Amino acid sequence: MAAADVRDMLDLPAEGQPRPHKKQKVVEKRPEGITRELFALLGERAPPIAINENKYKGRPKLMNKLRVRPWRMSPFTNNARSDGLVLKHWQRKHESTRPPAPERSQMEVDENKEEGKEEAPKPLEQEYTFAKYNIKARVPRRYTDEEYNRHLRSDDWTREETDYLVDLVTEYDLRWVVIADRYDYQPRMETEPDANALVPAKQYRTMEQMKARYYYVAATILAFEHPPSEMSEAEFELHEKMLKFDADRERDRKELAALQLNRTADEVREEAMLLEELKRITSNEQNFISERRELYSRLEVPISVGNTAMYQSSQGLSQLLQTLLQADKTKKRRSILGGEGAAPSPAGQTPTQAGAPGDTPGAAPSISHKKGAAAAAREAQQPVRTLSPAEEARYGVQHHERLTAGVQFRSDRAQKLTQAKSNVQTQKLAHALAELEIPVRLFMPTERVCKDFEKLIQSVNLLLDTRKVAEKVENEIRVLESAKTERERKSKEATAPGSSAPNPGHPEVKMEAEDGAAGVLAPSTGDAAASAPPNSSQGGNAADQAQGDGSVDAPTEETPAKEVEGNHKRSASVLSGVSDKSSKRQRR
Amino acid sequence: MNPSNPPQAAEYGGDEVSAIVLDPGYSTTRAGFAGEDAPKSLVPTYYGKYNADGQEKLIFGDDVFVTPRPALSVHNPVGKDGIVEDWDMAEKVWEYSFTSRLTGAKPGNPFQNGLNDISNDELPTEMEVESDEKPLADSPLLMTEPGWNPAKAREKTIEIAMEKWGTPAFYLARSGVLAAFASGKASALVVDIGASNISITPVHDGMILKRGVQHSPLGGDYISSQIRALFKSNSPQPITITPHYLISSKTAVEAGQAPQAKYKTFPAEKAPDASYRSLLEERTLSEFKECVVQVWPGPNKLSATGPTGVSNEETARTWPGRPFEFPDGYNQVFGVDRFRVVESLFDVKAAIPDPDSPFPAPTSSQTIPELIKGALSGVDVDIRPHLLANVVVTGASSLLYGFTDRLNHELMQLFPGPRVRISAPGNTAERRFGSWIGGSILASLGTFHQMWISKKEYEEHGPNIVEKRCK
Repeated sequence: MAAADVRDMLDLPAEGQPRPHKKQKVVEKRPEGITRELFALLGERAPPIAINENKYKGRPKLMNKLRVRPWRMSPFTNNARSDGLVLKHWQRKHESTRPPAPERSQMEVDENKEEGKEEAPKPLEQEYTFAKYNIKARVPRRYTDEEYNRHLRSDDWTREETDYLVDLVTEYDLRWVVIADRYDYQPRMETEPDANALVPAKQYRTMEQMKARYYYVAATILAFEHPPSEMSEAEFELHEKMLKFDADRERDRKELAALQLNRTADEVREEAMLLEELKRITSNEQNFISERRELYSRLEVPISVGNTAMYQSSQGLSQLLQTLLQADKTKKRRSILGGEGAAPSPAGQTPTQAGAPGDTPGAAPSISHKKGAAAAAREAQQPVRTLSPAEEARYGVQHHERLTAGVQFRSDRAQKLTQAKSNVQTQKLAHALAELEIPVRLFMPTERVCKDFEKLIQSVNLLLDTRKVAEKVENEIRVLESAKTERERKSKEATAPGSSAPNPGHPEVKMEAEDGAAGVLAPSTGDAAASAPPNSSQGGNAADQAQGDGSVDAPTEETPAKEVEGNHKRSASVLSGVSDKSSKRQRR
Repeated sequence: MNPSNPPQAAEYGGDEVSAIVLDPGYSTTRAGFAGEDAPKSLVPTYYGKYNADGQEKLIFGDDVFVTPRPALSVHNPVGKDGIVEDWDMAEKVWEYSFTSRLTGAKPGNPFQNGLNDISNDELPTEMEVESDEKPLADSPLLMTEPGWNPAKAREKTIEIAMEKWGTPAFYLARSGVLAAFASGKASALVVDIGASNISITPVHDGMILKRGVQHSPLGGDYISSQIRALFKSNSPQPITITPHYLISSKTAVEAGQAPQAKYKTFPAEKAPDASYRSLLEERTLSEFKECVVQVWPGPNKLSATGPTGVSNEETARTWPGRPFEFPDGYNQVFGVDRFRVVESLFDVKAAIPDPDSPFPAPTSSQTIPELIKGALSGVDVDIRPHLLANVVVTGASSLLYGFTDRLNHELMQLFPGPRVRISAPGNTAERRFGSWIGGSILASLGTFHQMWISKKEYEEHGPNIVEKRCK
């Protein structure tokens, strides 16, 4: 919203208020050509017709004082030429006092009267501006006869032809394309360079042959001037490059280049297609790698310890949705609701926000939303198609008798099973699992695996309990036996009377202990028996209900509390108790 | 100055020495001062010859077209292949091209021009010396030549320039190189579609590659002959071209109806030569080329089938025709025929056969794609892609509607791999005077002034110096 709008709303004076004053001042300035009195009569408003007429202003005064700087046709020579050709060009006349020119061209006769003295032509000695561009390529010096005979003899090249080549190279400044084009050596040296060079020379030389010969000659001469050990770096490099010239390889390269140039349209199209394909493959690979990395990073996300109880009521959820949307807007990040997939899996969706702890439970509402929508869609489809049990298993369709609010992870539920009431028990469980070589965190927490895992944990628990009871009983047996021996010893010592007097608590104790053990044993077995059937038939429905609070990031420390308490006697009071505890933790 | 340091780009390289650029062609001769953007003087290379009062008289310039004098015959000093044949007349035509507009006529003897009143006894005799002044004594001269100009012709050219015209400095440049310069390229493949010739000139670093130079006679005049062949076999009735000078009056007729015009007749002894008529017919034909003729823009040849299965000829037939009215009032709408007259520049089979034509039926190696192929195979493989990326189209006949599109398609088909890029100026004058403009640029460069062959050098080395210097 513009500041002007705000001002308008608040009835404030506009910002540019003082401007009109300024304008008025400008208007008050009296234009030229009107007398002051007349202008005063006009008032504030300027007359509709311009009174002052535009006059020709001419040149600015400053310019009028300057004299015209004349140009004159002056002759010049070019230092780049050897013949001293004199050409003429227009040049601005220099206003310096020079001796009058000895000769004067006809055109300037009329000017001469006033400025004759100063009108010297530009001295011819002054260097021509463009002469500096007269440059030749640097070529090594010419070989002498002796040098040629000693080092440069070749079976393929005569002295005359070598001379011709070196001349041509110098003439065309090492432009090999041109040299090869103009190369027209007649063995008799009757160089009547015929413009019609299309007639092939008797011995046709390729550019590579010429290059090889010339580079050899040039490198040899270069080495004469400075032995390679004394060469400067650039020179040495040049020398090396020239020595290493490989005519055959160059020829092969050119053949390949010609092949490349003369490809047919189909080949070109195919190549373009292949290139496109390659590009696609590499980009796909990149995508794949980045996706995999993301997946790995998600797998390594630490289990969150936040509490989700507050989001289990519908108010909580709507509130959460609000905050999320707010956060979404402010952060301008990609909307969580607007995922690209049609039905993003919950597992895939959640960890995106795992980085920000406050956001973590955030996925819950949206997912449940989706789930609900999906369920609705499924229901709408139900009359059309009913799934057989096999298909249900295949598509992972489940029917729940009763659903608690919120979402939970199956893996979490499995996770909770490994947590016992006491740390000792938990450790024992872990030991037992380690013994069985089962990881504490399931790799693939599918439903069947979870179910089996649950069974396993239950039997492990059973085993542990049994072992505990067995130990206890053994202990007691040992104690009692030792007591018995004691008693026997005592009875031996005090043979007769005191034998029945010693306290009868021991057998009672033993009885109680045995009862307790049986008591512990019985419910736990019963528990397993009771919970197994519904689990198998209804897909862990009961367990779902039992762990109502163990949602996405159920606090693991709290889980033992309700774990052995019995899945079957879960109630709202227990739930609240747990949530109380967890909220306390949070406060801490 | 180090050769590895390029000169500053911002440095202005011009330095004008009032050089004259002369670009002689088969159809027209262009002349003008270097540094200008178009030639001031544009004269036809054709000249007229007639007898008056027992004396042979010559007509130069546009005057050739004007008056049908008795027994006026029209000649061209330049041969069909673009090489000068009649040197005496060529010299006169070229001299006319710059003296008529640029340097002015030689001042006559002030005592004899009739403006001065002098008594006979005061008439000095030593004034004769002054009248000997040569027409180009003040101006260096840059001339152009085709890429296949033989050495003899080059030497003759410098001889004329130095000895007859007295130019202080001379240079002979290839028109292909200059056309490349005109489009700002030092290396290019120049496709020049002239009146008498098509030429392909590969240019590398400002020098032509002689082995790659290709030319064929399928130029503007060949297209004219194709149009004549088309007119002969025209469908409602054969068309005869009657030039304007033979029409005394005409009345409008419906399209396709016989013309109703009153013709002028010349008695046999007063009639101009047949060559005069054909020259004027040629003017009508060039108008026809400008207004009607169109090149099938491609892709593929006109005879080929388009991507939709409809033949290109059918597609062209659906396009609206173009009307043309001849000088005698006959008018007609030209449909697909207007494509066929130029198709043989690309597809030799599409040539319209005409036994009377002075042009023999073209061979397949004379078409533009084949010429370009041949030109490229004559140069080093390393620069071929660069040349293909710098194709310069010039010459007045390349202004045919749709020509560059077609050329582009043909080249893309011929060389699917490398990038093909055609640079053809849209400005008509730039296209017509491409090589002249390049010469104008070159001769006004400060760095060029060391390249001139001076009179002194010519006198030292003789005419053969042109071979050494103008490479």
